[in-house]
Order: sequence, then structure tokens, then C-alpha cells
Amino acid sequence: MNKIFQVAKREFISTVATKAFILGVCLPPVMMFAMFSLMPLLMNKAAPKVTGQIAIVDHTGAVAKRVADSFSPEKIAARMSERIKREMDKTPAPKIAKDLANNNAAAAVQQSAGASLTVQVLPVDTSIDAAKAEILAAESKGTTETNPRLVLAVIPKDSLTQNKDGEFGGFELYSAAKLDFEVQSDIRNQIGTAIVDARIEANGMDGSKIKAITALPRPEIKSVTATGDKTINDAAKLLVPGAFMFLLWVSTFTCGQYLLTSTIEEKSSRVMEVILSAVSPMQLLTGKILGQMAVGMIILVAYCWLGIGGLLFAGMMSILPLINLVYLFVYFFIAFFIIASLMASVGSAVSDVREAQSLLGPVMIVLIIPMMLCLPILRNPNSMFATICSFIPPLSPFVMILRLSGSEPVPLWQVPATIALGAGTILVCLWAAGKIFRVGVLMYGKPPNFKTLIKWIRMA
Amino acid sequence: MTATTDNPYTQPLVRPSAADTGSPVIQLRGITKTFGPKMAVKNLDLTIPERSVYGFIGPNGAGKTTTIRMIMSIIFPDQGELSVLGRASAVESKDQIGYLPEERGLYRKMKVGAFLNYMARLKGMDAAGLDRKVRDWLERVNLAETYRKKCEELSKGMQQKVQFIAAVIHDPELIILDEPFSGLDPVNRRLLRELIDEQRMKKRTLIFSTHAMFEAEQLCTHLFMIHKGEKKLDDSIDTILRKHDPRAVQVEPLDSASIADRRWDAIPGVTEVRRHDTWLELRLSESAAKETIMPIATTIAPLRRIELARPNLEQIFIQLVGGDAAALAAEREDFEPGSGAHASSMRSSGGDA
Repeated sequence: MNKIFQVAKREFISTVATKAFILGVCLPPVMMFAMFSLMPLLMNKAAPKVTGQIAIVDHTGAVAKRVADSFSPEKIAARMSERIKREMDKTPAPKIAKDLANNNAAAAVQQSAGASLTVQVLPVDTSIDAAKAEILAAESKGTTETNPRLVLAVIPKDSLTQNKDGEFGGFELYSAAKLDFEVQSDIRNQIGTAIVDARIEANGMDGSKIKAITALPRPEIKSVTATGDKTINDAAKLLVPGAFMFLLWVSTFTCGQYLLTSTIEEKSSRVMEVILSAVSPMQLLTGKILGQMAVGMIILVAYCWLGIGGLLFAGMMSILPLINLVYLFVYFFIAFFIIASLMASVGSAVSDVREAQSLLGPVMIVLIIPMMLCLPILRNPNSMFATICSFIPPLSPFVMILRLSGSEPVPLWQVPATIALGAGTILVCLWAAGKIFRVGVLMYGKPPNFKTLIKWIRMA
Repeated sequence: MTATTDNPYTQPLVRPSAADTGSPVIQLRGITKTFGPKMAVKNLDLTIPERSVYGFIGPNGAGKTTTIRMIMSIIFPDQGELSVLGRASAVESKDQIGYLPEERGLYRKMKVGAFLNYMARLKGMDAAGLDRKVRDWLERVNLAETYRKKCEELSKGMQQKVQFIAAVIHDPELIILDEPFSGLDPVNRRLLRELIDEQRMKKRTLIFSTHAMFEAEQLCTHLFMIHKGEKKLDDSIDTILRKHDPRAVQVEPLDSASIADRRWDAIPGVTEVRRHDTWLELRLSESAAKETIMPIATTIAPLRRIELARPNLEQIFIQLVGGDAAALAAEREDFEPGSGAHASSMRSSGGDA
């Protein structure tokens, strides 16, 4: 027992106490956090400052002054902060990050308020071609032009009047090619709004009343659960099972990979026989697997804390029932032991990493299939297909964690059934790995194929 | 021992005797092992007594490493019985065995000190006082400064010394060294011989395989020779040497002109005289007494040296291997660097093979 512990300890320390591990495990969460909290902020910071004029040929005489009004600095700022708030609500970032971003947005708005668009009303008889030419001319002069013409809008008379079919006319908009598309669409929207307002007024109706009538706040969808109604973020609904499976996947395959390389290293550096003079192959295998299991737990716990921390921040802890964490660890053990015995078998059978590639095929399949199954199972977690996948041994833990952390409850009997199946699979895999390991560790030369591996398993 | 007295290898060592060995530590009975079509070891019987120093010799691929690995329970025989330290398998007594395998390596990225601590812990040693012991051992083999170095930074010879420490640090009763001298320079060969000799003095049982007959002759109480999986020789060195006594006296006159003297042939009991450039060899009849012939020889000419020809293990080896040309060629190539001294001792003891 002490020997197994010593092997496990060495395996753990030699894996964890490396720069590669510290960077590989600690950096991604830090980067993810940075991405969530800083991206919206960066996006707003990067919004280009635009100065220039909007030329309008207004045949109705009622639209241009409304447009000019909507491009006053205060109105621009108000629209901008409104837009940022909308963007932020879409992302599942923690609340504190949102507040931070909103504050920053306000600053950004202050800055962009300095940037201005002025409206220049052109005479009705202006040549459209000449007016367009001025946009091109302003663009070719570049930054020397202090108030370049960016846009030309032509509002025809029929935009406020109905034709015989009862339809209103539209308007035309010409823009400098390089104008930021956000600004372009803002201008289009504002002119559109101005035209609609003018139509409403021309028809003798109360604009503000119509706005109030058509405005409707979007209700949040509340899930009815046994413990009361819960508001669940749509994105989070898919995010949590996805994150759970990804976590399981990353932790098992990362340490599976470590186990493979450390076994190959022991063989290729010929330290294997020295070690085997002190411990039996089974002790070595057990120690190595336990050591890597501890590595996997570190990864799992680190990311779990990060996730829980994030949810607490965002006040969204309700979407993560604690029992799911228990499931995560249970299915981690099952997935880990299966992958680890595959990896240890392959590692013991080959002499270098290159040779391992040909034997890693089936492991790769186990690696890719859960990723492919992710979406169909999430959409319909209790379909026949999902249930069958839950009982295919190497896929079982991945599929189960996906289903269990989803929104639909999984039939209760399937949890103990898949755990029992997993335990059985572990026993078979470890037994076979032990056989292969015992023969493989001292085999050098030609890498074995599957037939040879099966022969080794059958050997007494 | 005239020509070899300046040989730094030989001075402190006295060949151990087989007389004080005890009850069997290792017993093999009818052991057979095949690898596919190849029979690596055939029906082998071997008994290794306590406190003996057993040399395993034989050409490459003869079955030495296979035998050792079976003793270590790293591989298992197809047939036959085996007991190690009174138990059916070495697995149960791994902590009492020190093993330096032929295929040996170190964890490349591990520090030397950490590696030795780890190995000692794996051998069941307590952590208390262990680090001190590791440092002491490193100091003894002049590697004190490598304690904090990574194993991959060491030269091959240094690594081998570290591996030797890993094999003996837990003070085992039985020490098995597979080709311990390969790849060492003369200074380190000597150091290793001293370390092995020290283990012998501590009444440990030692097994080592080697290609270098000279080292085998110097260190062993017993020799076991295997060729193509079959036992060719298994006896104490004393018995082997007695059996293969060449019965000859070597004489080197001061003046090489006297080599041609016919009086050498006339000495009673001399059946044949072999003349070389600077010396000659007097072959003796079965009945002739060396004690009477040697004084007569000294009267014929002033001599630089006179000595009894000693049986030569390499010759015995070649005899037993039976002129297997391929095996011999392989063996010749395999003599280790630093065996120049070994070759000269061969010549001095009359082998002109």
C-alpha cells in the first residue's frame, strides 16, 4: 500500500509541479474570466469616433428637422448607453462585470458625445449626383476635411403620403463606403423614425400615445419547479450542461494524456525495470492511475470553483443544483478509470509517442463522440437515442452528465443503473489494462497491434 | 603476478573464497523459458548459496538477462520451480533484493537526490534519516554535487553510479547486478569493484553478469556460464581453476638469446617447450612437481621472471562456447573499453590464444 502511495505521489508531483501544467490549468480560467468581463468593454471602447454631416434633400419639409433633433449630442449619448445595456444583458457575464462595463460605457458615451453628426439640409432642387460626388470628394481628402459629408438622404414627397394602394413611399440613403456600419444603421433608423413620426403627425394622431400603445416589455420566462418559480437565463440553460460535460471531458483526457506520456517516458528512458525491481507491475499501474486521478481532481475542483464563483457573482446559483456536483465527481471517476486504463495499456505497449498514435484510434473515438452527441442530446435529453447512449460504456458518463445537468429530469433509475454499469466497465478495463501493462512494460521493438494486445490479455 | 602489479585494478583485492558460503539463497530447478520460437533458457538448474559472489558469464543472447529477470520475477518461467530468499517468488522479498537491471535508466526530469529518495522509499525504507543516507552515498561515489541536478544532466557513467546506489541503498541481502561494469571508465570500474567488494565483505550474496572475464575472476567465488540457454559451467572458481590448470611454467630470461637454449627441453618432467619472442613456456607432465622444476629453471639462465601459468577464464570460456565463431566475434567486440589492462594480464599469464 505504501509503495502504491509512493508511486502515486511521484506521479502527481511530477505532473503538477511543471510550468506546463500550471500554465495549462490556471491560464484558461483566467483567460475565460477576462474574456467575459473585458470583451464588451473592449468592444465599446473600440467604437470609432465619427464626425461629419448628414446631407438631406427633404421633399416633404417635415423630416429633416426631426432628424437634426435626433442627432443632438444628448440623444446620441442616450441611444448609445441604451445599446450597451442591451448588449450586456445578452451575455451571461457576472453581474459585477456588467456593472463595471456599464460604468465604462457611460465613460465611453461621454467621450463619443464629443463626436458629432450635424444635419445639413440641401435645397430640394439639388442635383443628387452632385451631392453624392461630394461624399466621394470628402472621402478622398481624408482627415484634412473637418466636417466631411458622410451620408446623403433623399426623402421623396410620397414618403408621407399614401398611394392608391394605401402604401407609403420610402427614402433613399447614400453613404460613404468607409462609414462605420453601426453609425450607418443608426442614421437609417433615425431617419426612418423621423419619417414615421412625421406621418403620424400628418395624420393628426398623438405620437407619444402610439409609442406607449406599441411598447411592451419582454417578460422573463419563469420555470415552474418544486421549489418555486425560477427565472432561468436561456443561455445558461445550455451553458451549464455544456460546461459540465466539457469539464468532465477536459479533466479525464488531460490526465489520461499525462498517464500515457509518463508511461511511455518510463519505458523509453528504461527506468521501468529499475522501478519494477521495487514494485510489481500492478502496484505501479495502480499508483500511476491514482496519482493521475488526483491530478484530474485538481483540474475538476479548480474549474468547479471558478464556475461556482462565477455563478455566485452573477447571483445565478439557482441554475446549478448541488447534487449535480456530486454526479460530476461520480461520473468523473467512471470516465477517468476507463480512459486511464486505455491510456496506460497503450502507453505500456509502445516504445515512443509516435507508435502510440496508431493504437490511440479507439481512444480518440471515445474522445470525439461525446462532443458530437452534445447538441442532439441537449435538445432532447430523454429521447430513446439519449437513453441508449447512456448505456454504451465509454460514452455513458459523458452522456449522463449532459442529461443530468440539463433542464429535463432524467428517470431516477438510470442514475444507479449507469453507475453500476460504469463500475463493471471499470473492473473489466482495469483487469485488461493490468494484463497488457504487465507484459507490455518490458517489451521493446516492434509496436504491437490489437491482435497482440488481445493475446496479452489472454495470457495467464 | 609480476606484469600485473602495476595494474591499478588488482592491488587491494584478494579473490574471495567459496569456502565460507552458506545455505542456498536462490534455487532454480528445471527452469525453461521460451520467447516465441526461441528457447531462451533450457531446463536450467542452479543453486546460489548464501554469501557467495556468483558471476554469470556467457555470450550476448545466451540467456543471462533472462535468467536474472526470472530470478527477479520480472518475467515468469514457462516450466520449472524457483525460490528466492526462501520464498516462491522474488515479488514477496523485493525489499531484500537490490537489482541493477541491464536495461537501466533514470527519470530524466527528476533530481538525483529525489530519485534516490524515491527508490529507497519504494524499497520500503523509512523517510527518517533517508536523505542523509542518500547524500552520504552520493559523496562516496564522488557525486555529492549532483544532488540537485536533474538526472538527464549526468553523464552515462555518473548515471550508472546513481543506479548502483539505487540498487544497494536499502542494504539488501541479495544484490543482483546485470552488466554493472559496462560503459564505465577505468577509474569508475575500480570504484565499482570496491563497492561490490564492500558488499561482499558485509556477507551479502551477490550475483553479477559480465562480459569481462578479468572482473569475474577477481570478484567471484563462483562462476555460472550459460550459452544458447544451456548451462555450460557452474562451479566455484577454485574448482574451475584446478580443473583447468594448464600445468605449465612461464620463464622470461634477462637475455632473450638464451631462449634458444636446448637445456630447457632437458629439464625432467617438461614434455614440451613453447618459445616466444622474449619468453618461453614449459609444459609439464602430469607427474611432474612444479616445486622441483622451478629451481632447475633458475640455474639455466638469469631470469627476469618465472611463474606458474594460470588457467585463464577467457580460454576456458572459449573452449566451452565451443568455437562458436559468431558468438566469439560478438564477444570480442563487446569487451569493454578500459579492458586494455585485462588483455595485458592475459598475455602475462601465458594465454596466446
